[in-house]
Amino acid sequence: MIAFEPVGSLAVLRFDRESKRNALTPRMLRDLLSTLNTCASARAIVLSGVGPIFCAGFDLAMCRDDDAVLPELLTGLSGVIRALRRDPRPVVVSAHGAAVAGGCALLGAADAVVTHAEAKLGYPVVSIGISPAVSAPTLSLMTDPGPARARLLEPALISGTRAAQIGLAHECVVTREECEPRAIALAQELAQKPPGAFAYTKRWLNTIDGSDRDETLERALRTSLELVGGPEQVQRLAALKL
Amino acid sequence: MNNTQSDLVTLSAQSPVGTLTLNRPDARNALSLELLDALHARLDELAARTDLHVLVVTGAGKAFCAGMDLKLVLDVPGAPLKLLTSLAEATLKLRALPMVTLAKVNGAAIGGGCGLACVCDLTLTHADAKLGFPEVDLGVCPAVVAPWLVRKVGAGHARRILLSGGLMSGERAFSLAMVDHLVPGLADLDAAADTIAQRLASGGPNALRATKDLLNHLDDSINPDLPLKGAQLSAKVIASDEAQAMLRAKMTK
Repeated sequence: MIAFEPVGSLAVLRFDRESKRNALTPRMLRDLLSTLNTCASARAIVLSGVGPIFCAGFDLAMCRDDDAVLPELLTGLSGVIRALRRDPRPVVVSAHGAAVAGGCALLGAADAVVTHAEAKLGYPVVSIGISPAVSAPTLSLMTDPGPARARLLEPALISGTRAAQIGLAHECVVTREECEPRAIALAQELAQKPPGAFAYTKRWLNTIDGSDRDETLERALRTSLELVGGPEQVQRLAALKL
Repeated sequence: MNNTQSDLVTLSAQSPVGTLTLNRPDARNALSLELLDALHARLDELAARTDLHVLVVTGAGKAFCAGMDLKLVLDVPGAPLKLLTSLAEATLKLRALPMVTLAKVNGAAIGGGCGLACVCDLTLTHADAKLGFPEVDLGVCPAVVAPWLVRKVGAGHARRILLSGGLMSGERAFSLAMVDHLVPGLADLDAAADTIAQRLASGGPNALRATKDLLNHLDDSINPDLPLKGAQLSAKVIASDEAQAMLRAKMTK
């Protein structure tokens, strides 16, 4: 469910579950991690999605059918965020169409995010009794702290234009069709940088902003996990029309 | 507390949404000691309200809050520090409230008043509102509100805003992300606040609270040191000859 396409020196990884708006399953997150390891010779990573939507978040139908899935997804997402953040290569996300909840959390792991004006982005998961805490440490580093707070507490989506204004995306192109090509072009530019200097700089930035500290990320994951299985989460997920 | 004092800050509630109103419209809701005492009492009350999941914070009349009411305390030794410490403690209580807070900035939000808006989890205003921190223009250091502005807009924007003084429009505040929601005019504000409050209230209360607690931990909002030290610094600067001269000149106008 991860499509891998080499483009020059890049590895373009796409969520490949278009019929489900690329909703994340535990297997997809595991596959993403293993694909990152197998494309070790690539100079940069582009994370995208097949079809019109980057990623609609967790597969909630699967979560509803099997209690074990939601904690597995939260834990897997935390692992992917850490892996992307700590990957020494440039990581660029094409946030086209929609990047929602767990899909939007991946933006916080990237070095650069490209979106487009009418894309929809956000974390509306408190409405189903899930805390987006797992995304908070990296999102709070990406945007100013106030907008991060607002996005995580308010169950609403914002446009790509606003996302670029608050720092959730670094570039905002006009149309959806321009989004992934621009992400690939940006990754190609970054791939030209001396890899040693890039890796050292990225690692130093992770040290400065604390995104290399497992303690913070573990606490955030724990906050999300603690609500799983509670009556609020169970009832709200059960009542959700999918 | 007598009735007059409690009326300075009112609380109305239609569970799960409450509205806290600074209610001193004849003084543009300026923060006097009495108003801050009333605010503390309301915040203490709210800290125990488990039925409210969203709190709208606003001002009665045309202004949201004109900031610290210094004219009554300038000649009383120790009074500015008392006022500023009370504000610092109020900001800490407001931030720590268990419900999500939405500042509905209906009009001018100046200095400490703008600080209160920034302490709230989300801020809504209209394009023509005036917001900002003109303290340096008056010889005053906005030290109590500085930590909260840094937590709202980041260190770079906060530095520019606080050192430049002056006021900005709601539109500019939105572009700097000091405000999260913007409507075109005052006439649109109430409906927008209701919509946002209801949307926030649709969230799972446990999920909202857990997320807010984590965010307060991540940005160190739970640490009282900076606002309280800020109160001391601000009081020290207010006592300086420069500030005294400028404040007295301003009051004489």
